[in-house]
Amino acid sequence: MIVLLTILLCAGILISGLLAVQLDNIVSAVISSGLASLFASVVYVVLAAPDVAMTEASIGSGLSTMIFLYAIRKTKDGD
Amino acid sequence: MVEIILDLAFVLIFLAIVSGIIRLVIGPATVDRVVAVDLLTIIAIAVIALLAHIADRYIYLDVALVYGLLSFLGVLAVARYLEKGF
Repeated sequence: MIVLLTILLCAGILISGLLAVQLDNIVSAVISSGLASLFASVVYVVLAAPDVAMTEASIGSGLSTMIFLYAIRKTKDGD
Repeated sequence: MVEIILDLAFVLIFLAIVSGIIRLVIGPATVDRVVAVDLLTIIAIAVIALLAHIADRYIYLDVALVYGLLSFLGVLAVARYLEKGF
Protein backbone atom coordinates (compact mmCIF):
# COMPACT_ATOMS: atom_id res chain seq x y z
CA MET A 1 0.00 0.00 0.00
CA ILE A 2 2.87 2.38 0.77
CA VAL A 3 4.30 1.70 -2.70
CA LEU A 4 0.99 2.67 -4.33
CA LEU A 5 0.83 5.78 -2.15
CA THR A 6 4.35 6.77 -3.20
CA ILE A 7 3.50 6.26 -6.87
CA LEU A 8 0.41 8.45 -6.49
CA LEU A 9 2.40 11.17 -4.71
CA CYS A 10 5.10 11.16 -7.40
CA ALA A 11 2.38 11.41 -10.06
CA GLY A 12 1.06 14.40 -8.11
CA ILE A 13 4.51 16.03 -8.24
CA LEU A 14 4.59 15.45 -12.00
CA ILE A 15 1.08 16.81 -12.61
CA SER A 16 1.56 19.92 -10.48
CA GLY A 17 4.92 20.62 -12.11
CA LEU A 18 3.35 20.38 -15.56
CA LEU A 19 0.52 22.67 -14.44
CA ALA A 20 3.02 25.19 -13.06
CA VAL A 21 4.62 25.33 -16.49
CA GLN A 22 1.46 25.26 -18.60
CA LEU A 23 -1.02 27.50 -16.79
CA ASP A 24 -1.61 31.01 -18.10
CA ASN A 25 -2.74 32.62 -14.86
CA ILE A 26 0.42 33.40 -12.94
CA VAL A 27 -1.10 33.07 -9.45
CA SER A 28 -2.37 29.58 -10.34
CA ALA A 29 1.13 28.67 -11.54
CA VAL A 30 2.66 29.82 -8.23
CA ILE A 31 0.08 27.78 -6.28
CA SER A 32 0.82 24.72 -8.40
CA SER A 33 4.55 25.02 -7.80
CA GLY A 34 3.88 25.21 -4.06
CA LEU A 35 1.81 22.05 -4.35
CA ALA A 36 4.73 20.24 -6.00
CA SER A 37 6.89 20.89 -2.95
CA LEU A 38 3.99 19.82 -0.70
CA PHE A 39 3.90 16.39 -2.36
CA ALA A 40 7.71 16.22 -2.27
CA SER A 41 7.73 16.75 1.46
CA VAL A 42 5.26 13.89 1.99
CA VAL A 43 7.54 11.69 -0.13
CA TYR A 44 10.44 12.71 2.15
CA VAL A 45 8.43 11.45 5.12
CA VAL A 46 7.90 8.15 3.30
CA LEU A 47 11.66 7.99 2.76
CA ALA A 48 12.15 8.35 6.57
CA ALA A 49 13.64 11.86 6.55
CA PRO A 50 11.36 13.96 8.76
CA ASP A 51 13.81 16.85 9.19
CA VAL A 52 14.14 17.29 5.43
CA ALA A 53 10.37 17.11 5.15
CA MET A 54 9.93 19.82 7.79
CA THR A 55 12.39 22.13 6.03
CA GLU A 56 10.79 21.48 2.64
CA ALA A 57 7.32 22.19 4.04
CA SER A 58 8.33 25.44 5.70
CA ILE A 59 10.55 26.89 2.98
CA GLY A 60 9.34 25.30 -0.25
CA SER A 61 5.63 25.31 0.35
CA GLY A 62 5.20 28.26 2.72
CA LEU A 63 7.91 30.87 2.32
CA SER A 64 8.59 30.65 -1.41
CA THR A 65 4.86 30.94 -2.27
CA MET A 66 4.60 34.09 -0.15
CA ILE A 67 7.76 35.58 -1.68
CA PHE A 68 6.51 34.81 -5.20
CA LEU A 69 3.18 36.50 -4.48
CA TYR A 70 4.97 39.51 -2.97
CA ALA A 71 7.18 39.78 -6.05
CA ILE A 72 4.18 39.49 -8.39
CA ARG A 73 2.48 42.25 -6.45
CA LYS A 74 5.57 44.44 -6.63
CA THR A 75 6.12 43.97 -10.35
CA LYS A 76 2.49 43.97 -11.52
CA ASP A 77 2.63 47.50 -12.94
CA GLY A 78 5.97 47.05 -14.67
CA ASP A 79 5.36 44.04 -16.89
CA MET B 1 -9.40 -5.78 12.34
CA VAL B 2 -6.71 -3.13 12.51
CA GLU B 3 -5.41 -4.16 9.09
CA ILE B 4 -8.86 -3.75 7.56
CA ILE B 5 -9.20 -0.27 9.04
CA LEU B 6 -5.74 0.76 7.79
CA ASP B 7 -6.49 -0.54 4.29
CA LEU B 8 -9.79 1.33 4.32
CA ALA B 9 -7.96 4.50 5.37
CA PHE B 10 -5.49 4.05 2.51
CA VAL B 11 -8.30 3.60 -0.03
CA LEU B 12 -10.11 6.71 1.23
CA ILE B 13 -6.87 8.71 1.07
CA PHE B 14 -6.28 7.52 -2.51
CA LEU B 15 -9.75 8.66 -3.53
CA ALA B 16 -9.28 12.02 -1.78
CA ILE B 17 -5.92 12.67 -3.47
CA VAL B 18 -7.33 11.77 -6.90
CA SER B 19 -10.37 14.02 -6.46
CA GLY B 20 -8.18 16.90 -5.26
CA ILE B 21 -5.87 16.54 -8.27
CA ILE B 22 -8.87 16.45 -10.62
CA ARG B 23 -10.19 19.69 -9.15
CA LEU B 24 -6.71 21.19 -9.44
CA VAL B 25 -6.44 20.27 -13.12
CA ILE B 26 -9.92 21.23 -14.34
CA GLY B 27 -10.57 24.13 -11.95
CA PRO B 28 -11.32 27.11 -14.16
CA ALA B 29 -10.72 29.88 -11.61
CA THR B 30 -7.78 30.52 -9.30
CA VAL B 31 -10.00 30.16 -6.24
CA ASP B 32 -10.81 26.56 -7.20
CA ARG B 33 -7.12 25.75 -7.27
CA VAL B 34 -6.56 27.43 -3.90
CA VAL B 35 -9.30 25.30 -2.36
CA ALA B 36 -7.83 22.19 -4.01
CA VAL B 37 -4.40 22.98 -2.54
CA ASP B 38 -5.97 23.46 0.90
CA LEU B 39 -7.73 20.09 0.56
CA LEU B 40 -4.52 18.36 -0.51
CA THR B 41 -2.65 19.90 2.44
CA ILE B 42 -5.17 18.47 4.90
CA ILE B 43 -4.91 15.09 3.14
CA ALA B 44 -1.11 15.31 3.43
CA ILE B 45 -1.43 15.84 7.19
CA ALA B 46 -3.61 12.71 7.34
CA VAL B 47 -1.03 10.78 5.28
CA ILE B 48 1.79 11.81 7.62
CA ALA B 49 -0.22 10.76 10.69
CA LEU B 50 -0.98 7.40 9.05
CA LEU B 51 2.70 6.89 8.19
CA ALA B 52 3.63 7.72 11.79
CA HIS B 53 1.34 4.94 12.94
CA ILE B 54 2.55 2.43 10.35
CA ALA B 55 6.28 3.10 10.77
CA ASP B 56 5.78 3.28 14.57
CA ARG B 57 7.77 6.51 14.79
CA TYR B 58 5.79 9.17 16.55
CA ILE B 59 8.38 11.85 15.80
CA TYR B 60 6.62 12.14 12.43
CA LEU B 61 3.67 13.78 14.16
CA ASP B 62 5.84 16.87 14.71
CA VAL B 63 6.13 17.18 10.94
CA ALA B 64 2.34 17.07 10.67
CA LEU B 65 2.07 19.79 13.32
CA VAL B 66 4.50 22.15 11.56
CA TYR B 67 2.77 21.35 8.34
CA GLY B 68 -0.66 22.34 9.58
CA LEU B 69 0.54 25.68 10.94
CA LEU B 70 2.51 26.67 7.84
CA SER B 71 -0.03 25.56 5.27
CA PHE B 72 -2.69 27.58 7.07
CA LEU B 73 -0.44 30.64 6.79
CA GLY B 74 0.21 29.94 3.12
CA VAL B 75 -3.47 29.68 2.21
CA LEU B 76 -4.14 32.81 4.27
CA ALA B 77 -1.46 34.71 2.33
CA VAL B 78 -2.91 33.62 -1.01
CA ALA B 79 -6.42 34.61 0.08
CA ARG B 80 -5.20 38.01 1.21
CA TYR B 81 -3.42 38.50 -2.12
CA LEU B 82 -6.54 37.56 -4.09
CA GLU B 83 -8.75 39.86 -2.04
CA LYS B 84 -6.77 43.07 -1.97
CA GLY B 85 -3.16 42.28 -2.74
CA PHE B 86 -0.78 42.44 0.23
